[in-house]
Amino acid sequence: MRTSATNRASGLVLLVALLAVVAFLSVTQGSRSIDLTDVLRALGNLGDDGTITSTVTLELRVPRTLVGILAGAALGVAGAILQGVTRNPLADAGIMGINSGAAACVVFAITVLGIQGVSYYVWFAFGGAIIATFLVYTIASMGREGATPVKLALAGAAVTAGLTSVTSAIVMTNIDALNELRFWQVGSLAGRYTPILVGVAPFILLGLVASLGLGRVLNGLALGEDTARGLGQRVGLTRAAAFGVVAILAGAATAACGPIVFIGLVVPHLARFICGPDYRWILPYSMLLAPIVLLLADVLGRIAGAPGELQVGVVLAVLCAPVFVGIVRYARLVEA
Amino acid sequence: MENPHMQTWRSVLAVATLGAVLAGCGSNDAPADETAAASGPWSFTSGNGDVVKADKTPSRIIAHAGEAAALISFGIKPVGIYADEPVKTDLNLKDLDLTGITILGEEWGKIDVEKAASLAPDLIVGDWWPAEKAYSGLEEGVDEKSKKLAELAPIVGVSQGESIVDLAEGYEALATSLGAKVDDPQIAANKKRFETAVTAFKAATAAKPNLTAAGMSPTDEKVYVANPKYAPELLDFQRWGLKVLDPAAPDKDFPYWETLSWENADKYQPDLILWDGRAYKDTLNAEFGKKQPTWFEIKAAKAGAVTAWPAYWLHTYGDFATELEKLTTAINGADENIGN
Repeated sequence: MRTSATNRASGLVLLVALLAVVAFLSVTQGSRSIDLTDVLRALGNLGDDGTITSTVTLELRVPRTLVGILAGAALGVAGAILQGVTRNPLADAGIMGINSGAAACVVFAITVLGIQGVSYYVWFAFGGAIIATFLVYTIASMGREGATPVKLALAGAAVTAGLTSVTSAIVMTNIDALNELRFWQVGSLAGRYTPILVGVAPFILLGLVASLGLGRVLNGLALGEDTARGLGQRVGLTRAAAFGVVAILAGAATAACGPIVFIGLVVPHLARFICGPDYRWILPYSMLLAPIVLLLADVLGRIAGAPGELQVGVVLAVLCAPVFVGIVRYARLVEA
Repeated sequence: MENPHMQTWRSVLAVATLGAVLAGCGSNDAPADETAAASGPWSFTSGNGDVVKADKTPSRIIAHAGEAAALISFGIKPVGIYADEPVKTDLNLKDLDLTGITILGEEWGKIDVEKAASLAPDLIVGDWWPAEKAYSGLEEGVDEKSKKLAELAPIVGVSQGESIVDLAEGYEALATSLGAKVDDPQIAANKKRFETAVTAFKAATAAKPNLTAAGMSPTDEKVYVANPKYAPELLDFQRWGLKVLDPAAPDKDFPYWETLSWENADKYQPDLILWDGRAYKDTLNAEFGKKQPTWFEIKAAKAGAVTAWPAYWLHTYGDFATELEKLTTAINGADENIGN
């Protein structure tokens, strides 16, 4: 045990405080400079009084911040669960086909149904993510031994490749779809207002609550399936439940923001580094660390890009790529 | 990392370079006068200032979509066309009879250079974009393979420079140099209609000396404000009395626009919004007002003072006349006290 339970609990409290600070930054900082007093007044009145400062604060920044918190938490937890259930330190929602499924469905919406606009993509992306995850899980479950980590990774790669090629085939012949998709695919919190927030919040909250019950069984799975079985766990059921939660969390987050990379991959490692290998702690740590990283990246993008903005997906890629390299090197050291 | 500003603009450009030149080309797609075209030597001063010379007048031409349509309107039929989208939907090409013309590309940035080489072209025609210092189809961001098109034959084009009039005159001059007869009565009629339209436009702007306008293109992620310096038709409008505002800080890497985040959407307050015509629909203003909380912070947007702007696609007098007539109506109905 690296740290005592008390230490870990106070760590969580610290992270909650940190998240509050970052959320405050996200509401007060942006490409438009607004006096702190104006922001506070808008927050205090809690109604749009028609001034631009109040509109920007309440209708742009607050929903955007809340979407960032929810999507970040969802991606962090989904990544942690996947890394646990597949015993693959490089797993994230992408390997489950979630991004490719969402992208395929968004392209379908653009080309076949003629729909355009972020707020309309939400449900298609969500549906696509769920379908892709279901497909991956079903394919991996075939055979006597069920959905083993290796089969899951293979099925995920196969479904991703299949869906990506279909998506490419469509967008190569349709430049409008290509451009729409290119924007969506970077991942962004811009333009995510109240309707999107209200749409995805119930799913993410449900998924987050459910995820907290998975810590103990993930610990069992981490010891290997036979050991877990020996400890009396129903491995197949656990895995199915874990995948259900991941599909809802990552699907909803991807629907809201587009495919945001690295968060689900990097944050669980950070969490593990801080609190050790116990999933009962890794899950809540990931749940708090991920939105901190996501919001921080978003605020940076807004300040660095002013008077325009940098998309959070771009900022994250720049920030997290070196961390990812570090993880790869660290993992190799452990193996050696 | 791809530049998202550029990519957005590209999607717009894809439609832009359609250069609709439909007026008067329905019936006169007769082949060029071969006897005249066979003579030489030939030379043409291209948009970048280079004088391009040939021993004999080129007759096997590969042209970009809108430029091809312009040439066809003067009776010069290219052997190959490269477009930025399927020719069936390309605004310039969809109503033209393209039989006998090889289609070399139907997507921005992708040209089948091998097929182009098999046509043995002796001239490539595409607009010159001064802001990018490149011809249509050879700009930064296209497939590297596409750029080899320039190795097949000399390339010429008229500059997207100071005025649409220059573009219209330029393609007429190019067509003439290639042996076209430009005495079709339809061509003269379009020129006349254009002159009348300019007079009416000038009268409308003179009646509203305080009216300000801005070229804008809102998207889900950002708001783009056009920089007239690189939009010949906006320069024309300014010249004819419409105060099209110049954005204070055009993007450095792609100076066609100043990009604003939605938080800063209200940075400019014109009396009339000139909405990028390649994306314009009558219902869009209300839609953006509904989905973007700050769009109606622009007073003109809230008041519904929006009209389509023929962004980057005009090549001929006929199209320009039609668009000017619509703008004149919008200006006559505009309120010069909406913005700041």
